[in-house]
Amino acid sequence: MANKINVNNKKMLKICLIVYAVVIITGILFSIFMGLKLDINFSGGARITYSYTGDIKQADFTSAVKTALDKNFTVSKNESLAGNTKTYTINLSGKNALSTEIQENITKALSEKFADNNIELYDSNSVSSSVAGSFFAKSMVAMVLTALLVVIYVGIRFKNIGGISAALTALCALILDLAVTFCTCAIFRLQIDSNYMAVVLTILGYSLNDTIVVYDRVRENKKYYPQLSLNDNMNKSISGVLTRNIVTSVTTVIAVITIIVVAEIYGLTTLRTFGIPMAFGLVSGCFSSLFVAGPLWVLWKERKNAD
Amino acid sequence: MKSKRVGKPVFFVIFILILALTYTAFFGISDYYGDKKKTYIKGAEDIRWGIDISGGVEAVFSPDIKDVKITSDDMASAKAIIETRLVNLNITDYEVYTDNANNQVIVRFPRTAGDDDFDPQAAIQELGASAQLEFYEGDDNSSGKPFMTGEVVKKAVANYDEEHGYVVSLELNSKGADAFAVATSNAYTNGTNISIYMDETNISTASCSNGAITGGSAIIYGNFTQDAAIDLANKINAGSLPFALTVDDSKLQIISPSLGSDALRVMVIAGSIAFGIVCLLMLVRYRVHGFVTCIALLGQLAGTIACISGYFPNVSSFTLTVPGIAGIILSIGVGVDCNVIAAERIRDEFAKGKTIDGAIDSGFKNSLSAIIDGNVTIVIVSLVLMGAFGTPDSLIAKVFSPIMSLFGSSITGAIYSFGYTLLIGVIFNLIMGVLASKYMLKSISQLKFLRKPALYGGKKNG
Repeated sequence: MANKINVNNKKMLKICLIVYAVVIITGILFSIFMGLKLDINFSGGARITYSYTGDIKQADFTSAVKTALDKNFTVSKNESLAGNTKTYTINLSGKNALSTEIQENITKALSEKFADNNIELYDSNSVSSSVAGSFFAKSMVAMVLTALLVVIYVGIRFKNIGGISAALTALCALILDLAVTFCTCAIFRLQIDSNYMAVVLTILGYSLNDTIVVYDRVRENKKYYPQLSLNDNMNKSISGVLTRNIVTSVTTVIAVITIIVVAEIYGLTTLRTFGIPMAFGLVSGCFSSLFVAGPLWVLWKERKNAD
Repeated sequence: MKSKRVGKPVFFVIFILILALTYTAFFGISDYYGDKKKTYIKGAEDIRWGIDISGGVEAVFSPDIKDVKITSDDMASAKAIIETRLVNLNITDYEVYTDNANNQVIVRFPRTAGDDDFDPQAAIQELGASAQLEFYEGDDNSSGKPFMTGEVVKKAVANYDEEHGYVVSLELNSKGADAFAVATSNAYTNGTNISIYMDETNISTASCSNGAITGGSAIIYGNFTQDAAIDLANKINAGSLPFALTVDDSKLQIISPSLGSDALRVMVIAGSIAFGIVCLLMLVRYRVHGFVTCIALLGQLAGTIACISGYFPNVSSFTLTVPGIAGIILSIGVGVDCNVIAAERIRDEFAKGKTIDGAIDSGFKNSLSAIIDGNVTIVIVSLVLMGAFGTPDSLIAKVFSPIMSLFGSSITGAIYSFGYTLLIGVIFNLIMGVLASKYMLKSISQLKFLRKPALYGGKKNG
């Protein structure tokens, strides 16, 4: 193998863990002091619908609501299926979001700004979250089940190099990646909505795949160079898959950034909650599988052998 | 270690097949009789998009009963059953909210403008139906009280039966089995009939000329079509609502896409540009292999789209949402990775001084284990997600049911949709990225003007 680059896995582990610690602590501080923005799907909240006549631009409507409402909200445009009633719905997340006072303020502000449009309160609902508690319980079980099956599969396929411990450190890398996506949302003040769920799932698959490529190379090098110590093997394997890792990561990250940029150019800001945590998660996935999963596993094995 | 050469025409055959699949998967095959469009094969245009992308319909359901106290448990079970019915209708993208103060269930689901196959009003009626299955002795329900109801049904399956055509077979619990044995034995001795009603509509009246049925199984027949039998089985499996729900038609609304009104067009543009950039990067770094990669990725994308749009007659169409698109993006990422792994291995082999055929051969061989293990891991992820968040009666869900049944039914279509597109994408990656890429590269590298290692990332004078 002609590998010019030589990686010192333990040194890289140290650097990476420091970076991860900084990112995660920052993320936690942000979520404690600035709070998290939860979508109405997750937190429940209130939905107030106003009917109107004539034309009102969504942006104008949103800015009018903003003057009366000091909270996070989203606005959606509707039309009745049967008749020709046009409405806007304001979605407010959080408990006790809908006090009569708030509602009156909004109604007043809207009626003043759109005096010619017959603004009328059409409907208002206080809703429970559409994503129930059992969803979170089930998600946890699904995660644990996935982890278990992956550990079993990797354990069998990588038996020669001690697969179960390898799978467990792969999961450590995965947890770091998921933490990074979460911290991204906290630090960039992005709303946690159903797009975020898609990000978590994507990173789950991507990170595991990345780590397996590293282990595959360790398995192969062990076959061809049985005299190498695990530490040297890991250094050689990381160097061997480094180009592949960089090419794949750069390609996917560029693709995701392209999607965000194009969406922003066209004013589609709702894809931010999808693209930004995804891009950071992908970068993290690349580093964590190279410099966290593998090196941690070497440390584990070395400690075990020393005992 | 010499492997068989692949002939030159192989590349062109695979290339043309993939182009044909791509063209038909994206554009479909249809023609016009005057104004009427007749679709033979569904294309990307026929994909049903989620509420987040193309908007939908919002309906507010209220219980159709008066003077009965409705508990929040009733509302929660109504929500769970509506969710199951939505997924049974292949609507995986929905939002269901309950408003316990006003006893309302607010349901939003996607509707594409101009979609004639999908009638939102019919869907809403189906969602709100109480789905009470009742069994009566006699020719109709005039006897007043049913001897058993849908509650005793453990499972309903649509089957084909030589004698009766399409039927729905029911598996009953012990209480149901006893009640059914008594009723059928009475019917047999007296020569009377048993009638089955769904929401007060007679769906079957039949005699018991073969004697009492004691095994705890029953069949419902009555000239069903295949679709009607499947619908009925799904309806029974989803369970009955504690009360029928009706919709105030004046509150039926068309909602604009939650991502913004232009979302679909922008995402198509963004996706195409991103795909183009990925192809460009592959071409620049891997030359000929990059070209083969682009074709394989196109094939993978087309295959995935085909499995979502209803291109294949036996794979029904699927609502595509942002998580679903994320599944496609991840699978394309995996597809890129699979080709990158192979291409880097081939470069390594050139660096060792191998010939073109030798390098390509061992490059693919060495990369296979990493690709397979990576892909299988992702398949595991997608199967667990589909099992945990899909309908309880799907095949995958049954495998996991001993664990998942502990958590009640919490179906989350968005995650199911992610698992589905990911699974399909990875399967097509194994076909396109692993098999098709290999044969295309082996074949194209036989062409005289392409027999230079530099064109594969090898050294200039390798």
